[in-house]
Amino acid sequence: MIQIRELIETDIDEVFELEKQIFQSDAWSKQNLLSDSQASHTNYLVVQDNQQVVGYAGLSSPPGSFQADINTIAIAESHRRQGLARQLVQRMIQMATRNGAENMFLDVRADNSSAIKLYESFGFEQIDVRKNYYQPAGVDALVMRKQIRQPLVMGIETSCDETGVGIVRGNRLISNALNSSMEIHARFGGVVPEVAARAHLEALKPTIDSALSEAGIEIADLDAISVTNGPGLSGALMVGIGAAKAIAVAHDKPLYAVNHLVGHVGADILERGSLQTPSIALLVSGGHTSLLLVRDLLDDVELLGETIDDAAGEAFDKVARVLGLPYPGGPEIDRVAINGNPQAIRFPRGLTLPKDMAEHKYDFSFSGLKTAVARYVEKAEDAGEEVHIADVAASFREAVVDVLISKAVKACAEFEVPRLILGGGVTANARLREVAKQRCEEAGIELRIPKFSLCTDNGAMIASLGAQLVMAGREPSGLGFGSESTMDVSKVQSL
Amino acid sequence: MAVVDGQKVLGFSEFEDRFGHAENIGNAIAQALQQAKISAADIESVAISRGPASYTGLRVGMAAGVAFAAVRSIPLHGVVALDAVATALPNAKSEQWMVISDAKRGEFFCCRYSGIDESGLAIRSSEPEVIKPEQLEKYSDLATVDSNSDAKLIGLYAEKAIAAGVDLSDSTALYLRSPDVTPSTKKRVSG
Repeated sequence: MIQIRELIETDIDEVFELEKQIFQSDAWSKQNLLSDSQASHTNYLVVQDNQQVVGYAGLSSPPGSFQADINTIAIAESHRRQGLARQLVQRMIQMATRNGAENMFLDVRADNSSAIKLYESFGFEQIDVRKNYYQPAGVDALVMRKQIRQPLVMGIETSCDETGVGIVRGNRLISNALNSSMEIHARFGGVVPEVAARAHLEALKPTIDSALSEAGIEIADLDAISVTNGPGLSGALMVGIGAAKAIAVAHDKPLYAVNHLVGHVGADILERGSLQTPSIALLVSGGHTSLLLVRDLLDDVELLGETIDDAAGEAFDKVARVLGLPYPGGPEIDRVAINGNPQAIRFPRGLTLPKDMAEHKYDFSFSGLKTAVARYVEKAEDAGEEVHIADVAASFREAVVDVLISKAVKACAEFEVPRLILGGGVTANARLREVAKQRCEEAGIELRIPKFSLCTDNGAMIASLGAQLVMAGREPSGLGFGSESTMDVSKVQSL
Repeated sequence: MAVVDGQKVLGFSEFEDRFGHAENIGNAIAQALQQAKISAADIESVAISRGPASYTGLRVGMAAGVAFAAVRSIPLHGVVALDAVATALPNAKSEQWMVISDAKRGEFFCCRYSGIDESGLAIRSSEPEVIKPEQLEKYSDLATVDSNSDAKLIGLYAEKAIAAGVDLSDSTALYLRSPDVTPSTKKRVSG
């Protein structure tokens, strides 16, 4: 039985034998084949007949290049003229599309007319000739290109207090319009669901209009719409869902209902041009504190842990109130902490004791920390002592950051994932970024922090996740989905 | 959802599901269009109910209407649901009458009317408001009529009002109550 699958390291000997037979003097060394096939920016496939490798192909698509190259494609003499090369090219095009390539390139011998015909049938066109490229025969190489039209997608985000509408084309950010109701919530000391939902309705039209005008496109140009349908505040989510469904019907566009937290991970695609997996993602905001293991953005996102009480951002807001600082607490605490000593007071690190680690290894808890800060301040005030707000703020912030980053780095080590992505509004916190940078460097972990407009809730990240679904050929969600305020991260798309 | 042309209803869809607004809104629009045998591109303007009504459901419909009008670049008209019901009541000619609807928490949304103008629209004699049941007692001599408020009434009212030159440009939600929250105060944690 013939099967096409991903190349694994143990295939390399067989692949190298084929390489030598087929390309002879042009053959790559085994070492080159191995390193190229195992690189993070390549995808290699093998064709297997029973237990034997009878063909292979390699695609290279470096992050952020928006292009893909077919590095090699080969079928054993014994298995030619069975359409296997055609299947491999088709798979390469699918992978290039999914990797965000807008152009796909390859070289082919000018005397290999059957290969040229095959590529032409997939829409490749000759764009250049490299004279005498293949030596010693002195055969020219044709450079061929296929343009890939990546999907133009509008994303709508209304899960909390930000009304976001963003537009992406494939892996590329086109526009990202935002209206926040944060200022209205300030007097209540936190996000009030009814207030947020009212604000979304009012912000809807202006945000849609600015996303479209910023992008310089017409709504009719869109290939799909995506919308957050959870997790988040139900009443707020429903405003976005109502709008998205109406837009989908009004212009007969496919609609994708997507997961807000997975959207945060997808934001890094817009920053670097593609998402590197596996990745650990730490999402920290006023509503969420979640640690995710992302093996594949669309098919394998696992929740390692989350807060069991307050979100980290919520803790900042509550402690700011204790210290008499305004809402939102994050930037305020950052501001006063500059002059404080982070070691001045040893506040508790939630869920880090051995007994907690057994059950809550990657979970977080900030409620006890908030109470500890309040007790400390009240005790000092009752005793008539002056409270050194800068020290309290700095020490509190240190406790939050310490736990967040320690657990994230621990997860990277345990799952042997050399990459950490931060997302959510709390990534604006100066100390969080500083400690993350320092500890990731020490541990040899690559740290990814998208720019702030992509870290905080936004429509572009939802558009990005929608685009990934389109690029992977997924079916749209239909019109019948609802909001799910407590959606699990493993549910990337609602059908 | 209804598709109306003048005083003719071309398409109408309704889902009896109090908690299913977000789920059903897309199919409601699609079905009404389908029944009317027209495409979304043929719609010339959108009329939305501004309420008063249950907030979450109201917002789903309004969000859909606002977005539909925005992306088709057509006018959006706001209709006070009580006005639409008042105008549609068959036996309401020149008498005093009022329209009430459930506002939850033991209260009612209410608006009073006195007659029908030359365009056939109910004439308000009070502003829409939230009232308690005891405030209704003084109207106990009024005969009661049950009526539904549905999308047909909103569309038909809008057609009549636009023809009469009534300004329907206010398309903000008519909540009639402030969000149920109080500004936060600092609380002690230790005794």
